[in-house]
Amino acid sequence: MLNFPSAVAENQPTNKHRMNRELLDFAARLDKIIQGRDATPQAAGGTPRAARRVCSQREQNHQIAPTLLKTDFNPLALELFALQFKFNSAYRKICEARKLTPQIVEHWTQIPFVPTSAFKELELTSLAPDERTAVFHSSGTTEQKPSQHFHCAESLAVYEASLWSWFEQKVLENSGFRIQDSESILLTPPPELAPHSSLVHMFEIVRQKSGAPETVFIGKIATDGTWILDFDATLAALSPQAPRPAPHSLFLLGTAFSFVHLLDFLAEKNLRFQLPENSRVMETGGYKNRSRTMPKAELHSLIEKFLGIPRENIICEYGMSELSSQAYEVRSAKCEVRSFQFPRWARTQIISPETGREVRDGETGLIRIFDLANVFSIAAVQTEDLGIRRGDGFELLGRAQLAEPRGCSLMTA
Amino acid sequence: MNLPNYFLADLPPEATLSPAMISEACQTLKHNRENYLANRSTQSLVNFLSEIAESWLDEEFSFRKFALENSKTIGFSPATLQKGLDNFFKQFTRENFHALLVQEFGDAKRLDAICSTAAEEKFSRAAIARAPEFQVHIGAGNIPNPTLTSIIFGLLLRSAQFVKCASGASFLPRLFAHSIYDADPKLGACLEIAEWRGGNHNLEESLFAEADCVTATGSDETLEKIRKQLPLKTKFLGYGHRVSFGFVAHEVLHGARAKKIVSAAADDVIAWNQLGCLSPHVIYVQLGGEVSPEHFAQLLAEELERREASEPRGEIFTEESAVIAHRRGIYEVRAAHSPELTRHFCSKDSTSWTVIYEVDARFQLSCLNRFIYVKPVADLKTALENADGVRGKVSTVGIAAPEEKNSEIAIQLARWGATRICPLGQMQNPPLAWRHDGRPALSDLVTWVDFEQNV
Repeated sequence: MLNFPSAVAENQPTNKHRMNRELLDFAARLDKIIQGRDATPQAAGGTPRAARRVCSQREQNHQIAPTLLKTDFNPLALELFALQFKFNSAYRKICEARKLTPQIVEHWTQIPFVPTSAFKELELTSLAPDERTAVFHSSGTTEQKPSQHFHCAESLAVYEASLWSWFEQKVLENSGFRIQDSESILLTPPPELAPHSSLVHMFEIVRQKSGAPETVFIGKIATDGTWILDFDATLAALSPQAPRPAPHSLFLLGTAFSFVHLLDFLAEKNLRFQLPENSRVMETGGYKNRSRTMPKAELHSLIEKFLGIPRENIICEYGMSELSSQAYEVRSAKCEVRSFQFPRWARTQIISPETGREVRDGETGLIRIFDLANVFSIAAVQTEDLGIRRGDGFELLGRAQLAEPRGCSLMTA
Repeated sequence: MNLPNYFLADLPPEATLSPAMISEACQTLKHNRENYLANRSTQSLVNFLSEIAESWLDEEFSFRKFALENSKTIGFSPATLQKGLDNFFKQFTRENFHALLVQEFGDAKRLDAICSTAAEEKFSRAAIARAPEFQVHIGAGNIPNPTLTSIIFGLLLRSAQFVKCASGASFLPRLFAHSIYDADPKLGACLEIAEWRGGNHNLEESLFAEADCVTATGSDETLEKIRKQLPLKTKFLGYGHRVSFGFVAHEVLHGARAKKIVSAAADDVIAWNQLGCLSPHVIYVQLGGEVSPEHFAQLLAEELERREASEPRGEIFTEESAVIAHRRGIYEVRAAHSPELTRHFCSKDSTSWTVIYEVDARFQLSCLNRFIYVKPVADLKTALENADGVRGKVSTVGIAAPEEKNSEIAIQLARWGATRICPLGQMQNPPLAWRHDGRPALSDLVTWVDFEQNV
């Protein structure tokens, strides 16, 4: 019922004919920082690796320490804000309307955010049309206009560095899981069928970076454009003809709604699997009306029931097409509560929707993310998701729902 | 105030209702009705009900005081609840009951005796209206008025009643039922109030098996589910989703009159925090007046800000705030890019009120809790074309127009499909005899018995 027409946007970058040098430099420096793996306690146990080069040669001209300590974040954020304000005219208008310019803003928490919905209406990018080589769309319902997050080779490189670095730390290193010895089952369509999905791109990069283990994409695209599972391929992947060589495990990655489709299918066919010990599941994202919704605990218990993967081997991810970094759910050392954490190049704030101010620890609010890896789009993004603040992370509650219709008022959006 | 344990809704939250408890309660209600209610005269019930309503208007009335002290429980500030209760209960006067009975039955004594109107008499006909013995009401969760009205009408018709409230929505109906019990325990014993989350099949099956008539307010989906559960013999009156809007003609948009109209529009936005189906989502303002639609939006914002001091909206759930914050975010971005097409006016440091001025005149559902759209239109015809998406779902249109144009506007709206046209500012205050969703207020509930005599 909501009619949200496009705003008339003046969205052409000011530098129409050449890739912006300042942003490229920033991207290159950030890429180095991301791959440098700083020496904070979280990463201290990690295995040193050779940094992978993804960007231009310009980065050699800059002497940046390959670390991102807490104190570095603010100057980097302010620098990026100044660049985005300068080169992203659609964003600049929002900032000016809020009377928040780089001359005034002193801390990253004051940097004007944009709601994720703005990615549907405006071309929030510093890239000129001819510089855009890829675009990621949000996976909303077909009636809604999707978000657009434009990329170029350099911005994809930052995205890939960001996603892999944090995935490696949070999913691989801390769990003793060896992806090289596993077979990956991806519950999404393959990249060639879903070129505009940032999630599929992420899965493909994970596949490549992890040494391209044996991988199968078991998703496909239905005639209405939605993602469904190829159940023949699913069964073939779950119960191969030939016995798997030991040690071997499976790694299933997909959205929560795809897992619901899979579990419904297994329940209908009365099939249960005891997947090899040490197998893993990574689930992400909401349901977006693509399947019945279920509480996370129920989803995990069904995964355990039908696939034999215990809850402690299920990893939850939080990401979206409007961002270039993801959060993973971790159990904090201090308390039993699990919370989502972004990497150090992205910061989270939980904002009271009532007052617009950050809530106290343990309180609920909207999740706002400042993602340095969103170099060529907008770093400060206000999501529509509610979360409970837990230290510098959050417990995810999910999309603020209009679902509970109040009486006789039509509230079906 | 300690409420005694009279009703199922008085049970502690940990108590679990069983189908047997529901059946037993229904039997008791029917039995009590037979003994205490079936033989009461309509006049005595009118007297009783108008006295109860009068008590509720009395600032010292203990039940009213208790309601206001606990207004937060039901999501309203005391001032908002007080105004809502006052506007509601002031309708239930003896005169209004009389007018209602005459409107519905042609004769105020129709429920007590076989009688005739002049037209019936001409053909030697007479009739009596027989009310259902046992009514079940399924209430919605937004505002208490429809449930309270059902209880009052049910008593007037001498029906035993079981009121099933939506979860978290039983506080006021329960308090009202206690006030009835307190004033006349025998009448109170013909009433049951319970609360559970809708869709509890076991409980509802037991309940519906006993009912002669079921009234329900809720989504189309909810109504459909209830209807399917009912035996064929059971009468069902479902009141589905409805929306409302306002229309302001350009001729009245000048000087002091414009200010009054802005204030009336604010009344409609503030009443019950806009949560009722009679509350406006959009106010269409005609172009060409001394006050432009955009200026109207600004004046309305200023008025809502002023009124926030005296009639605050009060706290709402975080999810509701989040929806408002999200909507505001969309319009803020649009306003920054196209200020000539969109403007947003928001309360500072809170979501207490929001006015969105949008040149795009398509009807837009508000997220409510004092979030109103103001849209410019060339005329009423344009407004209706833009509201085509909700055609057939519109309850009330609040109008502000020169008196000589009112009838013409009303007929245009009636033909288009609205079921109630009222002055702007009165949208949430329908009169007692209001025909809810275009249906008779009482006569839908009864069964007529015709008596034909020899000519």
